Amino acid sequence: MSPDQPKIVCQDVSKIFTQRYGTVTIPVLESIDLAVEENEFLVIVGPGQCGKTTLLRIMAGLETPSTGRVSLDGQPVTGPGPDRGLVFQKYMLFPWRTVVGNVEMGPKLRGVPKAERREIAGHYIKLVGLEGFEKAYPHQLSGGMKQRVGIARAYANNPKVMLLDEPFGQLDAQTRYLMEQETVRIWEAEKRTVIFVTNNIDEAIYLGDRIITMVGKLPGRLKSTYQVTLPRPREHMDVEFLELRHKITEETELLL
Amino acid sequence: MKPEAQEREPRLLKILPYLSLVAFFVVWQLLVDTGIVPRVLLATPSEVGKLFIAKLTQAQPDGAVLWIHTVVSLGEALIGYLLALIIGIPLGLLMGWFVVAEGLARPLFEMIRPIPPVAWIPLAIFWFGIGMSGKVFIIWACAVVPCVINAYTGVRMTNPTLIQMARTYGASDWQIFTKICIPSALPMVFGGLQIALALAWTTLVAAELIASDTGLGFLINMGRRLLRPDMIVLGMLMVGLTGFGIGILIDWIEKKLTAGLERGGSAS
Amino acid sequence: MNGPAEAAVGLNPRVYQSGLGARLWAFFHNRYVLYGLSVIGFLLIWHWAALHSSIAKFLPTPAEVWAEMVRLSGDRLAGKTLWGHLWASLRRVLIGFAIGLIIGVPLGLFMALNKYINAAVKPVFDLIKPMPPISWISLSILWFGIGEESKVFIIVVGAFVPALINSYNGIRLVDPALYDAIRMLGGNRRQELLQVTFPAGFPALFAGFQIALSVAWGCVLAAELVGARSGMGYIIILGMKVFNPAMIIGGMVVIALVAGLLSLILNKVEKVICPWKRELPQ
Repeated sequence: MSPDQPKIVCQDVSKIFTQRYGTVTIPVLESIDLAVEENEFLVIVGPGQCGKTTLLRIMAGLETPSTGRVSLDGQPVTGPGPDRGLVFQKYMLFPWRTVVGNVEMGPKLRGVPKAERREIAGHYIKLVGLEGFEKAYPHQLSGGMKQRVGIARAYANNPKVMLLDEPFGQLDAQTRYLMEQETVRIWEAEKRTVIFVTNNIDEAIYLGDRIITMVGKLPGRLKSTYQVTLPRPREHMDVEFLELRHKITEETELLL
Repeated sequence: MKPEAQEREPRLLKILPYLSLVAFFVVWQLLVDTGIVPRVLLATPSEVGKLFIAKLTQAQPDGAVLWIHTVVSLGEALIGYLLALIIGIPLGLLMGWFVVAEGLARPLFEMIRPIPPVAWIPLAIFWFGIGMSGKVFIIWACAVVPCVINAYTGVRMTNPTLIQMARTYGASDWQIFTKICIPSALPMVFGGLQIALALAWTTLVAAELIASDTGLGFLINMGRRLLRPDMIVLGMLMVGLTGFGIGILIDWIEKKLTAGLERGGSAS
Repeated sequence: MNGPAEAAVGLNPRVYQSGLGARLWAFFHNRYVLYGLSVIGFLLIWHWAALHSSIAKFLPTPAEVWAEMVRLSGDRLAGKTLWGHLWASLRRVLIGFAIGLIIGVPLGLFMALNKYINAAVKPVFDLIKPMPPISWISLSILWFGIGEESKVFIIVVGAFVPALINSYNGIRLVDPALYDAIRMLGGNRRQELLQVTFPAGFPALFAGFQIALSVAWGCVLAAELVGARSGMGYIIILGMKVFNPAMIIGGMVVIALVAGLLSLILNKVEKVICPWKRELPQ
């Protein structure tokens, strides 16, 4: 594998859902071509119903594309696996397990012995800033904390790629901004290739190295690409930030 | 789960329920016909069917036509049930709102509540005899419990913000109770009605099994005394069918009355 | 404890402001005072009514009920003391309950996991479900006689229905995205079952246990009322037959206490086994 081969590639991916045993077809994605570089922070931004979650799920391996293919490090993606870490919008923590129980789940499934996986879990719990909450249950945590657990849980498998599906959609505006800052901090501490899906342009510009806009509803398709070269941490009120925001807002149907 | 897997519902899956039911009756019939199960212990479905047709018009050998048994059972159950509603629901609602009502009624209620419905039977028969009033008492005693619990919980779950809002308008305790608490408790109350009905029906059958001279429970008991398993099974099926039927009726009434409201959960 | 009634009373402008009136009002609106008054009042009314000549035959005084319970604890009735009969009932319940669970839970599980098993079993189950367990008593006695087996059979029928329903629903209603999560973490099919299906479905399953146990207790009593030589049901029906209302009521008191105790124990067990918040499927 050469260093400048992209990490994840989608070639002519499209997706059609069928319902009622084949009688109803719903096109969700149309000709998606995409390549993400190693350790790049890619943000896909688009309105609701444009298929961005489906695209992410296809990259995760939870759905198979109707046409085209997805490859990770040159190998085709055929199903879900721990080499891709997925962070869900609705957290999807296991409510019967504590924070450490959730984070260590990946290593536990692979048979890693208890002492070692506790150590791994402890490291990532600390990374996401939840030290001290190891024994808490998800229902005792706030939304932001739950998502930190979600991120730590995905990271604990040392994935090649982190996939985040509108992870802060359930949070209030203040917590959301805080989590955006935390995301940048965590990513800079342990760099990974990240594909982040959102419907919020501010969030996209704050976080991404590269932004791809998605438009269209059933099916959705990719529209434009923007490189973001602003240094981090970024300021929402900077001229360049606002200019980029203006450009993207003009182009998509999104309001913010 | 991949959507592609749902391309075609396998035909086997569609007909399996019917196959299963048919197989059930066939096996049942064969078990007795081939003598694996002695005829004195279990009647075949065809014998039950024949008895059903016969009992539509014949009063023998137990003393009444099938229709009469059903009506008697239903009547006793419904009277006790309605009395339970009339007393239980207002009581539960009041208990949920007025501290005085709860304080006075609750200990007595908590004493009645853990008593399993059938445990009332000997006391009721002792006090009222075998007739209808005894049965009505039993049904009432057990059906009143879920009515009270659900009405009480329904009122306790009233959104406190609504109450505080009404206070700012100067509403009195009674006005808040009638205009806010009661309507907001309706879904829970209906949940309680279903539970109470199922309970009433089951308990009635038990009461009739023990001491009665008409009714479906009596029919089942008679079947044992006369060593007529077909009568037993007929009684059981009629009980099941009738209970099922009233359940559907209550569902229908509820849909009509609470169209648009969110349906509440069940009592503890 | 803090329901709308409390929230409301605090804002009620009609409460007396001060003085004896305020204190009296507060005293008689204290829920625990009212509980106490209610219990005392109830016992007094009961006692007084029981002494009235026309009812005395039908209603024993509270003291008489207590005396009867004490007597039965010592004397033997058909070979057993009160506690012996209680154990006879409990034993039947426990056996029937266990068998009912062993049949109902796995069956519900398979029905939830496999569409074919569901399609095959559900119609027959729906046929049997509306028939109250007690209606099986005549068949049961016909088949097994008046011994232990006929009663345990009724309890099995009664307990297995809620066990199956809750097992089926609990597993069927597990959030499918949880399976996505475990598969993304590398779980295989077996691990999906062990790490998601069982723990996610367990709270509902346990709720089914609670229902099944209380149904079982009712079933054993019903079966004993119809035909038995031991058990709590036997005691209360005997009380009816020999015109001993103190025995009936005393028996009912013990029955109610045991039922309450069983459900209390299960509640405590649940808090230990499922410390996370319980989400009941509808």
